[in-house]
Amino acid sequence: MKYLLNRIINRTLERFMWIGLLILIWISAVWIGSFSPLVLPSPYQVFMSLLKGFSEGILGKQILISIALVFTGMSIGTLIAFAFLFLAVSSRMGESFVTTLTAIFHPLAGIALLPVVILWFGTGALSIIFIIIHSVIWPMVTNLLMGYRSIPETYKIVGRNYQLSSFKMFFKITLPGSFPYILAGLKISWARAWRALISAEMIFGAVFSSGGIGWFIFSKRVFMDTPGMFAGIVVVIVIGVLIEDLVFGVIENRTVRRWGMSV
Amino acid sequence: MRILTVFSIIMIVFSSCSNNKSGDISVTIADQYGLAYAPLQILKEKKLIEEQIPGIKINWVKLGNTAAIREAVLGGKVDIGFMGIPPFLIGWDKGMEWKIFTGLSKAQIGLVTWREDLNTLNDFGPADRIALPQPGSIQHILLSMAAEKYLGESDVFDNQLVTMKHPDGMSALLSKRDVAAHFTSPPYIMMELSEPDMKLVVDGKEAMGSDFTFIAGMVTNKFSSKHPDVLSLIRKSISMAGEFIMKKPEEAVAILKNDYSIPEETLFSYLTEGGLEYSHEVEGLPKFINFMKTEGYLEKNPESMDEIFIEQDNK
Repeated sequence: MKYLLNRIINRTLERFMWIGLLILIWISAVWIGSFSPLVLPSPYQVFMSLLKGFSEGILGKQILISIALVFTGMSIGTLIAFAFLFLAVSSRMGESFVTTLTAIFHPLAGIALLPVVILWFGTGALSIIFIIIHSVIWPMVTNLLMGYRSIPETYKIVGRNYQLSSFKMFFKITLPGSFPYILAGLKISWARAWRALISAEMIFGAVFSSGGIGWFIFSKRVFMDTPGMFAGIVVVIVIGVLIEDLVFGVIENRTVRRWGMSV
Repeated sequence: MRILTVFSIIMIVFSSCSNNKSGDISVTIADQYGLAYAPLQILKEKKLIEEQIPGIKINWVKLGNTAAIREAVLGGKVDIGFMGIPPFLIGWDKGMEWKIFTGLSKAQIGLVTWREDLNTLNDFGPADRIALPQPGSIQHILLSMAAEKYLGESDVFDNQLVTMKHPDGMSALLSKRDVAAHFTSPPYIMMELSEPDMKLVVDGKEAMGSDFTFIAGMVTNKFSSKHPDVLSLIRKSISMAGEFIMKKPEEAVAILKNDYSIPEETLFSYLTEGGLEYSHEVEGLPKFINFMKTEGYLEKNPESMDEIFIEQDNK
C-alpha cells in the first residue's frame, strides 16, 4: 500500500514538473514574442479568465454536462462492444461479421458522420451521445478481441476441465485473463470519446441549455475572447490528464500491475 | 540526397516569396459563400481590379465563417475581408486594427420556420431550437434586436441556438425535425421560402427598424495606410461590379451561374426580385454600435467614426 502511494506521489510530482516547464516556455514565448493577447495570451490572463468562467457559474455546469455526456456514451458503447465480443467468440460467422463491421467503421471519424447524424437524430444530446458511442465501440471491440485471443489456451482448458458454465467461464477466465487489453481499450476509448465530444459540442451548440466545454470554447472564439478560449482548452486538458492519471492510473495499479500482467 | 532535394525545394519556395515582395503589390482578399458576395465573383471573373491596377497580384480565399476570416486577418494572412458589421465590431472592440472601407450588399435576411404554431417570436418556447451561423454573427445580433423589440429581452434565445453553416441549417430546417427555425440570408432564405409550409417570422429590416448593410468590406490599417490609392481603386471596382449586376442581370447571371448550383432563371429572379442591392454605401453602422454596446457585446464606443470607417474620397 505504501509502495502504491509512493508511486502515485512520484508520478504526480513528475507531472507537475513537466507541466511547470511547459508553462515556463509559454511565459517566455509571450515575453520574448510580445504577441498581441488576441494571438497568444499570457498564462495569467488565461487563469483570470478561467476564474471568471467559474465565478459566473457557467463553466462548472458545462464541465458536468460534458462529463455526463461522455460517461453515458462510454457506458453504452462499452456494453455494445461486449455484446459484439460475445457474438465474435461464439461462432466463426459471428467473428467475421464483427471484424468486418470494425473494418468498415473504425476508420470513419465521428465528425464525418455528423451530417447523417443531424438528419437522423437532430442536434440535441442524443446526437452527441451517438457520436461518442461510435468513437468508443470500435477501438473497444478491437481490444476486447485481442485480449480474448491472448488468453493462454491452458486457462480455457482448465475452465473446461472444471465444467464451468459459459457465464462463469466469461467472468472467471475471459474477463480477468484479458483485463490488460480491456483496460487499454477503455483508455483509448476514453481519449477518443473525449475528443469526439468536444468537437461535436463545438458544432452542435448548446445542449441542455448551457452546453458543455466544447461550446464554451466555441462561444469564446466567436466573441474573440482569446484568453477565454485558452481557458477552455486548459480545462479540456486538465480533465483529460486527471481521468488518465487518477481513474485509469489507480485501476491499473490495483489490478494488472498487482497481478503482474500489464501489457 | 533526399535532404538535398528537400533543401532545394525550401530554397525555391523562399526565393519565390521574396521575389513577390520586392515586385508588384499583392493583396489577399477573403470572402464567404452566398449571393451577398456576388460582386466579388464578378470582380474575380472580369478581372476588374487587375484592369485598374496593372501588375497587382490578388489572392482570393474563401473561408467558412467570419471567425475564420478574423483569425486569418489577425495572423497577417489576409488584408481585406468581407463579413457582416457585428463580427467586424467585435474584432475591433477586442483590439484588431482594421476599418470598414466599403459596403458590399444589402439583403433580406430573416428567420424562417416550418412550424405552423410559430407565427411571431412570442410563440417560441425554450425548446424550439434556432439555427444560425454563430453567436455574434449579424444573424444572431438581428435576432437579439428582434427579441429586444418584441419580448423586451435580447438574450432570450441565446440558450437554444444551434450553430450551423447556411447549407447545413437549411437541410436541418427542411428535414422538419428539431430545428424549429433558421435565421439565414440569400440565396438560402429564398430557397427555403419557396418550399411548402415555410414562412418568415421576422426579418432583419423589421428588427432593425431601417435599412442596413448586410455585408461590408474591412481592411487592415496596415494595408490601408500603405496602399491608400490601391484601396480606393479596389473600392471603385467593387462599385462597378455591383452596378454591373444591377444594370445587366442577364450578363451577371451568365457569369455567376458557375458558382452557384442554382438554375439560371431562378438565379435571375433572386438577383432582380430578391431584395438584393449592391452598394458601396454603409448603412446602419451607428445602430449596430448602439445596440451592441447597450447589450454588452462591445466594451467600448468608437470616439469618432474615423476609428472604424474609412470615408469615401469621391475621386
